[in-house]
Amino acid sequence: MVMIPDMPDVGRGFIQDLSIPPISETHWTLPVPSSERRVAIVSSAAVSRRGDKPFSWLARDCRVLNKNDRDLIMTHVAVEYDRVAWQLDLNSIIPLDRLEEMASDGEIGSVAEDHYTFMGAADPVDMEKSARETAERMKQDNVNTVFLIPV
Amino acid sequence: MSGLARYFEEADLSTVVIGFVREHMQAYKPPRAMWLNFPMGRPLGKPNNPDYQKKVIRAAFELFDRSTGPVLEDFPDVIPVRDGRMGYAIPPEYVVSRNDVGDVDALLAEVQAEIAQLRPAYDAAVTARGRTTVGASDLDVNLLAPHIAEFVKGGKPKSPRKGLSPIPGLKLVIEDLQAFYSEARTHRDDIDDFELLGEWFWMETKAGLLIMWLEAVALHTEDKILRQVVDMSLVTPRFWSVGPLPGSSASGW
Repeated sequence: MVMIPDMPDVGRGFIQDLSIPPISETHWTLPVPSSERRVAIVSSAAVSRRGDKPFSWLARDCRVLNKNDRDLIMTHVAVEYDRVAWQLDLNSIIPLDRLEEMASDGEIGSVAEDHYTFMGAADPVDMEKSARETAERMKQDNVNTVFLIPV
Repeated sequence: MSGLARYFEEADLSTVVIGFVREHMQAYKPPRAMWLNFPMGRPLGKPNNPDYQKKVIRAAFELFDRSTGPVLEDFPDVIPVRDGRMGYAIPPEYVVSRNDVGDVDALLAEVQAEIAQLRPAYDAAVTARGRTTVGASDLDVNLLAPHIAEFVKGGKPKSPRKGLSPIPGLKLVIEDLQAFYSEARTHRDDIDDFELLGEWFWMETKAGLLIMWLEAVALHTEDKILRQVVDMSLVTPRFWSVGPLPGSSASGW
C-alpha cells in the first residue's frame, strides 16, 4: 500500500507539503437512479484536442472534449507519472468508450456530449471559477452525474 | 480532483472521485471517493482491458448507492509499484556532468538515425491504434531532436507553438520525442511496462542521452526558467527519486 510516508523523498516532500484548505462540511447531492444517470467526465490530465491552446503550467482553466473526440494531446506540466497507458489506450485515463458501452447496456442512462479536463498541478481553489462555469455548462447538457478522474 | 468535487456538488451534480493519494482524499472529504492503489497515470488500471476498466468504474459508481457520506472506499486490487514510487524515476546516481557533454552534432546524427529506425514501428502503431499522442509541440518528428540540440548548444530557439514562450515550447518538444519512442516501442514489442520503457529511453537511447545533456547544461544556465524546469524535474523524471538531482536544490517544489 503506497501512502505518503512510503513514497521516495522528493515526491513525498512535495505531496505532503501541499496546502489543503480546512473542509468543514461535505455538500451532498442526492444521486439519481442509475438508469437516469447522464455522466460527464472531469479529468485532471490536461488533455486537449489537437490544435487547442496548450495548458499553462498552473492553468486555472479547462478544455472541453466532445464525447467523440479521439485525436487528443496532453500538455500536463508534470513528467513523473506514467504516460504509456494513455498512449496505448485513451480509456486508461478518460474512459469514454467504456461509458458508451455501459450506456448501451443500460448500466447508466447516457454519456454527456462534452467532457472536461483541467491541469492537475494547479490548486483546486484557483480552479473554482472555471469549475463553477463548467458545472453550469454541464447542466445545460442535462448532466446530473460527474466522474472525477486523476492522472 | 477531490478539491473540485465540491463545486459540482454545490451545483446539484452528484460526484464520485477516484484518486491515488489517500491522505488527500481524506482531507478534502469529497462526498464519494474511491482510492486506487495503482501507479499514477493509469486510473482505470489497465490499458486495452475493457473488463478491468469497467470493474473500476462500477466500483466507483456503486458509491452512488450510499445514503450518507462522505464515503472513502479502497478499490480492492493493487497494481504494485517499485519502491513506493508512483512512476518511473531515473536512478539518482545517473547524472551527466557538463564536462561529459561532447559533440552535439554527432549525437544529434545518432538520434536522427534512431528515429529513422523506429519510424516504421511508429507508423504501424498509429495505424493500429488509430491515433497518436505525438504532436503537442506542433513540430515535425524530424525536427524535434534538432530543436533540443540547439538548447544544448546554448541557443534559445523560438517555441514551435504560436503564443508559447521558448521553455514551455521546449518541454513539449521533449515530451513529443519521448512519446514517439514510446509509441513505437510499445507497439513493436507489444509491451506495457513504464519501468522498462523508462529504463530503455533514459539509459539506452541516444534521444535520452541528448535530453540528459540538456539537463547537464541547464544546471549551469543563466536562463531562470530553464533552470527552474530542471530544479522541478520537469525535463527528466526525477520526482520519484530518493534524492534531488545533484547540483539542483529541488527548490522549485
